[in-house]
Amino acid sequence: MKTSMNLDASSTSRRRFLRGLGACLALPACESFLPRAGAASATALGTTASGAPLRMAFVYFPNGAIHEHFWPDGRGADFNFKRTLEPLEKVKGSVQVLSGLEHRNAEPGPDGAGDHARANGAFLTGVRVKKTAGADIYAGVSIDQIAAQHIGQRTRFSSLELSADAVRKSGSCDSGYSCAYEYNLAWRSATSPLAPEPNPRMVFERLFGGGSRGDRARNFTQRQQQQRSILDFVLDDARSLQSGLTHRDKDKLDEYLTSVRAIEERIARAEQFGTTPDPEIETPAGIPADYEQHLRLMFEMLALAFETDSTRVATFLMAHDGSNRPFPELNVAEGHHSLSHHRNDPAMIDKCAQIDRFYATQFAWFLEKLAAAKDADGTSVLHNSMIVYGCGNSDGNRHTHHNLPVVLAGNGGGALQPGQYRTLEPAPMCNLFLSMLDRMGVPPMERFGDSTGRLAI
Amino acid sequence: MPPRTYLKSASQINLAVVLSLAGIMGASANGLRSHDKTRFEKEVRPILEEHCFDCHGDGEKKGNVAFDAFLSTAELAGKTDLWMAVLKNLRAGLMPPEKEPRVPAASIKVLEDWIKEGAFGLDATNPDPGRVTLRRLNRVEYGNTIRDLMGVDFQADAEFPADDTGYGFDNIGDVLSTSPLLLEKYMAGAETIVAQAVPLVSKSLPERSVAGREFRGAPEERDTQRLSLYRASDLTYRVRIQQAGTYRVNFRATVFGSFDFDPARAVVTAFVDGRECWKKELFWQDRKPLDISAEQRWEPGEYEVRFVVAPLVGADKKPAPRPGEGDTYVNVDFDGVKVAGPTERESWTMTPGYDRFFPRPDPPSNPAEWPAYAREVLQRFATRAFRRPADAATVEKLTAIAQLAWKSPGTGFEQGITRALTAVLASPRFLFRVEGAQSETVAGQHPAIDEYALASRLSYFLWSTMPDEELTALATRGELRKNLGAQIRRMLADPRIGELVENFAGQWLQTRDIESVSIDARVVQARDAGTERAGRERFERFRKLNEDIDAATRAGDAAKAAELRKELAEARAKFRGQGRVEFSAELRTAMKREAEMLFRHLLREDRSVRDLVDADYTFLNEPLAAHYGIPEVKGKEMRLVKLPADSPRGGVLTMGTTLAVTSNPNRTSPVKRGIFILENILGTPTPPAPPDVPSLEASEKTADGRELSLREALALHREQPLCSSCHNRMDPLGLAFENFNAMGLWREKERGQPIPPVAGQLITGEKFANVTELKRLLANERRDDFYHCLTEKLLTYALGRGPEACDVPAIDEIVGRLRREDGRFSALIHGIIESVPFQKRRADL
Repeated sequence: MKTSMNLDASSTSRRRFLRGLGACLALPACESFLPRAGAASATALGTTASGAPLRMAFVYFPNGAIHEHFWPDGRGADFNFKRTLEPLEKVKGSVQVLSGLEHRNAEPGPDGAGDHARANGAFLTGVRVKKTAGADIYAGVSIDQIAAQHIGQRTRFSSLELSADAVRKSGSCDSGYSCAYEYNLAWRSATSPLAPEPNPRMVFERLFGGGSRGDRARNFTQRQQQQRSILDFVLDDARSLQSGLTHRDKDKLDEYLTSVRAIEERIARAEQFGTTPDPEIETPAGIPADYEQHLRLMFEMLALAFETDSTRVATFLMAHDGSNRPFPELNVAEGHHSLSHHRNDPAMIDKCAQIDRFYATQFAWFLEKLAAAKDADGTSVLHNSMIVYGCGNSDGNRHTHHNLPVVLAGNGGGALQPGQYRTLEPAPMCNLFLSMLDRMGVPPMERFGDSTGRLAI
Repeated sequence: MPPRTYLKSASQINLAVVLSLAGIMGASANGLRSHDKTRFEKEVRPILEEHCFDCHGDGEKKGNVAFDAFLSTAELAGKTDLWMAVLKNLRAGLMPPEKEPRVPAASIKVLEDWIKEGAFGLDATNPDPGRVTLRRLNRVEYGNTIRDLMGVDFQADAEFPADDTGYGFDNIGDVLSTSPLLLEKYMAGAETIVAQAVPLVSKSLPERSVAGREFRGAPEERDTQRLSLYRASDLTYRVRIQQAGTYRVNFRATVFGSFDFDPARAVVTAFVDGRECWKKELFWQDRKPLDISAEQRWEPGEYEVRFVVAPLVGADKKPAPRPGEGDTYVNVDFDGVKVAGPTERESWTMTPGYDRFFPRPDPPSNPAEWPAYAREVLQRFATRAFRRPADAATVEKLTAIAQLAWKSPGTGFEQGITRALTAVLASPRFLFRVEGAQSETVAGQHPAIDEYALASRLSYFLWSTMPDEELTALATRGELRKNLGAQIRRMLADPRIGELVENFAGQWLQTRDIESVSIDARVVQARDAGTERAGRERFERFRKLNEDIDAATRAGDAAKAAELRKELAEARAKFRGQGRVEFSAELRTAMKREAEMLFRHLLREDRSVRDLVDADYTFLNEPLAAHYGIPEVKGKEMRLVKLPADSPRGGVLTMGTTLAVTSNPNRTSPVKRGIFILENILGTPTPPAPPDVPSLEASEKTADGRELSLREALALHREQPLCSSCHNRMDPLGLAFENFNAMGLWREKERGQPIPPVAGQLITGEKFANVTELKRLLANERRDDFYHCLTEKLLTYALGRGPEACDVPAIDEIVGRLRREDGRFSALIHGIIESVPFQKRRADL
């Protein structure tokens, strides 16, 4: 529809401001820029020393891991993957396995049972989520969102939230915790989770526009223009509504207002990035019935988003903690969660390990894809990434949250030393997060979650 | 008096309360009125001392509860969670424990009254309605509202992310959040919906379609007739013309051949009113639409259209299907005809749906008059969309959006309006349910919600959609409250009440989950029969064979590979379809329908809600009846079936859906089934298992490797004091259902061994011999518990918030009404709608 967009003077000036902001911060699109000569400051926002984009992602697998199969043999650079992580063999030089990290805030306190909700909720927030079935969900801002707040304006999308849990259970979730803690990894604020998208088609269209190849960029631009014409109206409407509201109602409307602003910023930013990339693949049809296919499609979307530099921050919840999915494809009829309480029964442990390996296989597939994708500076996208693969539960049988199974993939643009198995002194997971934030060039934060310092990575 | 806030006490005592209810209001530590204090000392404390202090006082602190471990009476009174638990446990007969003397009814009354008035500080003269947070429409409500407002179907559950749930429901205001992703989707959705729903021209060429199946001589039942070129077809239809004029007839037909060549050929002819208008010899080719149309001047009357296929190659020439390659063919798909006309412009008629948005037949011809008309159009639309009057300033802003659009050349009136309508559908007043209060309010009193808000609460509660015209008209006139009873009855009789069934019952009884729940029919049945091991070995053998085939292929040993393949095929054939029951989609849907139809039946016939627990009838079709082993139900149609006297079915607890959603993928879960009853029927949920205790059922083996039966494992578990207090409550309930496997099939054996007797005892002492007796106990002796539980659940759903201490009087009143009217469904629905929390809004005092 061809309409001119600006409705009044004030909205024009707001946009102009946003545009200006975008112009100062925007990097040229991925393929067109040259690496900066020499090693520049390692703390440039969301950028590697060579000037290429630096990405961070967090991939969650559910219900802990079977430790005897997860941890490699050996240590340091001299190590061998065991059964679970063996699929990572091809990218061994690009990953480090980290033992000793913990999320003490996922452990039971006075709040009692509910380890799955807490593990999932604490994973990227580092906080003890509030035990409530609904009225007042409260976690913390997640690490990816802190990064996104700082570097999000450099890409068309500040962050991407994915999941492969297409069907949600009805009824309440883990032991009196709201389902919000289990089905979301990313939290924009302590009370606003960012719902992840399970449908690969939706992810693709959001990133690159709908329709067939060749039409997408135009469709994408058109949609944005249409959206802008209504943003001013709804913003006004929300403001006029807000005046008559009480506390909690105001909060709800604030979520709406924040969302309006986020879209405005994104549209303003998108205009600074020239043409929308148009990947050479067909738009995915939707959620495939086969779980492995689904996971791979989501990973493919994530890889595309990174390769096209559409975003540098992402989270992917492969399945929520407590997931009780059976794996008929592995001839495992029992649900994963039931199995994870194996009570040291060898047959159950074996099945759990099969599932652990299944997830690791999908992750390996993703890493290989990133390793094969050439980045702007001549290295690979995997080289210029920091990807955490882990779970907020350590031993699914006993519900422990120390010595969490964690893999950190990517070279961080050369800042990390992958290709090793590091057995760390017990330390909060949040220490790792803080160090990753530093690498991303985010102004140093003193603390995050239950951090006690930084992890030398 | 103002509601007091519940202050967290700084006391050292850690109160692990038996029942946890979040977000409760109550008396603060220092807000206890002096006469309540006196009343506590004089009337309440003696009862507690006599009945409770043996375990919860004088140094005893069972379950971490001691009534005398507080610094002051006021501090004790301020423990709202504790008193809520006392109330529940007392009423449900859980406390004092069964073997202790009962608390006399009069004393219970004293306790109840004091808890409500003293501990909760509730003021009967100005009842507190609690707080309802601004509710966003959830996916279901959004889709329904769009359907009613715009006249188009929108697949909200496919387009929008799932809504989070709280208190077991997905319509809880506090939990329904908004994210940039969601708002983006709302905006994209608004574009799509408006483009689909709003006609851009007032008049259009009248058109009608006649599906292929409506033709005489149509061989098939479906709209599209699949006509083979090997078979002669002659399809005719008589078009009735009422107005003289020129008509265009379009035959909608597509020819397509199989991937491989097929020799079929035929002459296809189309006739309009006896005149041949198209004739062609068709043969094997790729999919290609046939472009057949004719124009004809017609006077009123009836005219024949005809589509004929005359084969040129006999069916005997059709190649035999080759194994593995499938059939070859050439077909014409005939979708019927489209008749458009009269094509003369002056005969055009109003575009369907136009008057839903535009009250006048045409926009003013002078664009200078457009803004005034736009205000009229937008005022009308925004008022419907917002479910309350749109103010002038809003309408003005919307008009400005339309005006801006008109500035672009070639943009018509309607097109400009669509821009404004899109804005309305993305605005918070549409997406959120904004509620106002009645203006004539006594100072210091909690006001009633206004009539518009009441209309919305009613329609979203009962229909999950916006108010219809009648509700809106009454609200606009301020007469809805006056006609409340009649309106509730009208709404209950309306087909849209199906939404309450699907959304409330669907979540309360979790029937929404039955279609997706993971149950492995093969393993479940192998387990019952005790052939799990054989199954595993068979799988291993298949896997080994497959590996060997791969190895042989890699090694280039074709002969060996072929031999192995043959062996695999034989092994497979031997096991295929050995009396296996599929847990098919069809069966799952029937199970879902069974529960929904019962709920619907009780609503329609205004029967007792106790039928939900125990009934001598249910709803079945042939596959489900066969699954239940009930004879003489034929056909796919679901219908009411009177059950044989000895049938264990009837009521939701023995329905396939409940039995399956409370099972694990490979076997039953007595614990889950027990918890289901405690949570959803008795309303006395157990606290979650303490930390570090693994889900008990995970283990069915002892350390020496012997496999324990589930029952043995449970019994072992109950020996541990830590586990017994809760498992004593849930296990007997869950074990009573052990004769139903994870698919809800009746079974006599598990692991090939007979299932031991399922007799048991409720924690309140009542004994039962089998599942039928258990259901009877729940529906009769424990009737009040069920009334309470159902009322709390339905109130939660109706209000979009969890139950709070201030709701206790309202819930008690509704339960009283249910008791007086023997559980009639209308007593529950009317009771909820007429209750204080539904009718009022908490004043910000």
